[in-house]
Amino acid sequence: MAITDVPVQEIALPSVTAGGTGMPRLRRRRLRSILVSYLATLFFIVNLNFFLPRVLPGNALAVMIGGATASRGTSEVSTGARAQLAHYYGFDRPLVAQYGQYMADLAHGDLGTSIHYNTPVRRLMRDRLRWSLLLVVSSMVLATVIGMAAGVHSGWRRGQRLDRGFLGTFVLVGNFPVYVIASFALVVLGVKVHWFPLGGAQTAFVNYGVPGRILDIARHVALPAAVMALQFVFLEYLVMRGGVVSELGSDHLLLGRAKGLRDRRLKYRYAARNALLPVVTVVALNVGAAAGASIFVERIFAYPGLGGLMFDSIGYRDYPAMQGCFLVISLAVLGVNLFTDLLYPRLDPRVGR
Amino acid sequence: MTGVVSLRRGVSARLASPRWRQLRSPLLVAGAVIVGLLVVVAVAAPVLAPYDPRALTGDSLARPSAAHLLGTNAVGQDIVSQLIWGARTSLVIGVVGATLAVTVGALVGVGAGLVGGLADTVITRVIDLFLALPGLPLIVLVAALLGGSRTVVILVVANAGWPQIARTLRSQALTLRERGFVSAARGFGGGGFYVMRRHVVPAMGPVIASRWVDWASVAIFLESGLAFLGLGDPTTISWGQMLDGALNYQGWYIGNLWTWWVLPAGLAITLAVIGFTLIGVGVEQVFNPRWARGS
Repeated sequence: MAITDVPVQEIALPSVTAGGTGMPRLRRRRLRSILVSYLATLFFIVNLNFFLPRVLPGNALAVMIGGATASRGTSEVSTGARAQLAHYYGFDRPLVAQYGQYMADLAHGDLGTSIHYNTPVRRLMRDRLRWSLLLVVSSMVLATVIGMAAGVHSGWRRGQRLDRGFLGTFVLVGNFPVYVIASFALVVLGVKVHWFPLGGAQTAFVNYGVPGRILDIARHVALPAAVMALQFVFLEYLVMRGGVVSELGSDHLLLGRAKGLRDRRLKYRYAARNALLPVVTVVALNVGAAAGASIFVERIFAYPGLGGLMFDSIGYRDYPAMQGCFLVISLAVLGVNLFTDLLYPRLDPRVGR
Repeated sequence: MTGVVSLRRGVSARLASPRWRQLRSPLLVAGAVIVGLLVVVAVAAPVLAPYDPRALTGDSLARPSAAHLLGTNAVGQDIVSQLIWGARTSLVIGVVGATLAVTVGALVGVGAGLVGGLADTVITRVIDLFLALPGLPLIVLVAALLGGSRTVVILVVANAGWPQIARTLRSQALTLRERGFVSAARGFGGGGFYVMRRHVVPAMGPVIASRWVDWASVAIFLESGLAFLGLGDPTTISWGQMLDGALNYQGWYIGNLWTWWVLPAGLAITLAVIGFTLIGVGVEQVFNPRWARGS
């Protein structure tokens, strides 16, 4: 998140070491300020997760009872039962006590108990986290590979027909609402031509052996991952293209050309290589967007990941599960951003000197 | 007086400048046509729609026919009429949501940029905090907690939009603050709010316009998306609601049913989103000469 704020010094100065040991002073200061801002964000998210349902109008218990009774056709819950429920979920305790309990539970990794599944939220998510990870990572890989390849070609031929064609295509594709693409892809590629399975993450009750199972899982993740990748390829493409374009007039490219290097080498080893860095930022940004998109995609493909769990728990008005998903997704996104922020100075020595 | 005259001349000269002639950029025109169509359909919905979108006017799941151009849905409501009325919902949410997001974002961002100092630092930190939140999961959570009425959707969209807009506009304001005409207005004793309204915001017109158009598109996407997740208000007629209804129907993909039930609603959402986006890209292209160079 803070990458764009970091002043990039064009000229790398010899590093100033503090007391002759360890990290350069400025780099250490940057590290500290990054960690502080991430801790602040973490605190903010954790508090938001606690206060949102309690501050927003309509208390969680009423919605819970309302939701539960609406589906069973009963209209009234007795005051006794209501008090019992409130007590069970700890809503009758003072806010400060609830807050303390929430924080203590969180510190133990306890995210509460799902109302619908009557299972600890943590256990619910443990199985689903793997699938989410598989989905997000495969879509990221797909989007990055396609976006970078297209971006390099497009930037190298700036203003030409290929460039304009790519640009137009990606603007269009990137703006297709993900739930629309997903529904169309499912019905056309899944139902009509049977290229892909209709949903789920693997075929149940079939014993394929290891290679068969891997293939089965790949077949299941292919379509949802491709649909998600379509959303993210645009930004990767745009950044890669921009990077290559800004390299076009550079001196080292001119020198390379004067040396008589082949076009291919100039394109990939010189221009593309220098344009790679900002793509790292975009991948991190896209992980955040993927967390959102997975709610839609997993709904349509009945994919058993976190996004799907969040969708299901919305349907059941299962607040603990919903909040657990929100918290875990937020923390995952935060973690990826922190990782990029820390990785960046290693990739680009100009940052943090 | 001469000042006013030269200002007038300045404006007309600017209108004749190549920059404005570029407004005929194909992207901008395509976007304007799509959005124009959307506006016409939304305004004229009562005239255009053959039926009351809520009335049960045919058999359940009737095939397209002369009476029902795109057939009927599971309960026998006319799909064409729902599409037409859905345009109104999307447009209202898009326009109001984007306006709210841009207004808040502009006030916060421009204010912070112009005031500077401690206030700026604090506001920037707050913006950063909001930007670090995962957008869609938070929106979904809030909509689930509040119930997805039209007002809630608009508020949620505005709340998602303002930090990014404020961020962009703040950096714009920072560079503007150092420009001659702003310091001149300050030097003549113009107050902060006056300078902001009279000089800074107009100078940022194109940026604000492109932000507005972008967020109109996002708002439409989010409204349909929330409805699609079952978080919309079931009593409103909207494209997302249509999709949700169709996809919750067992066997929506059997036969050709989806081509008139799911496809038109999906295409309508896409068209609206892309229409606004094209205008945004077009505006950006016209006013930001760096865009063509790609960075």
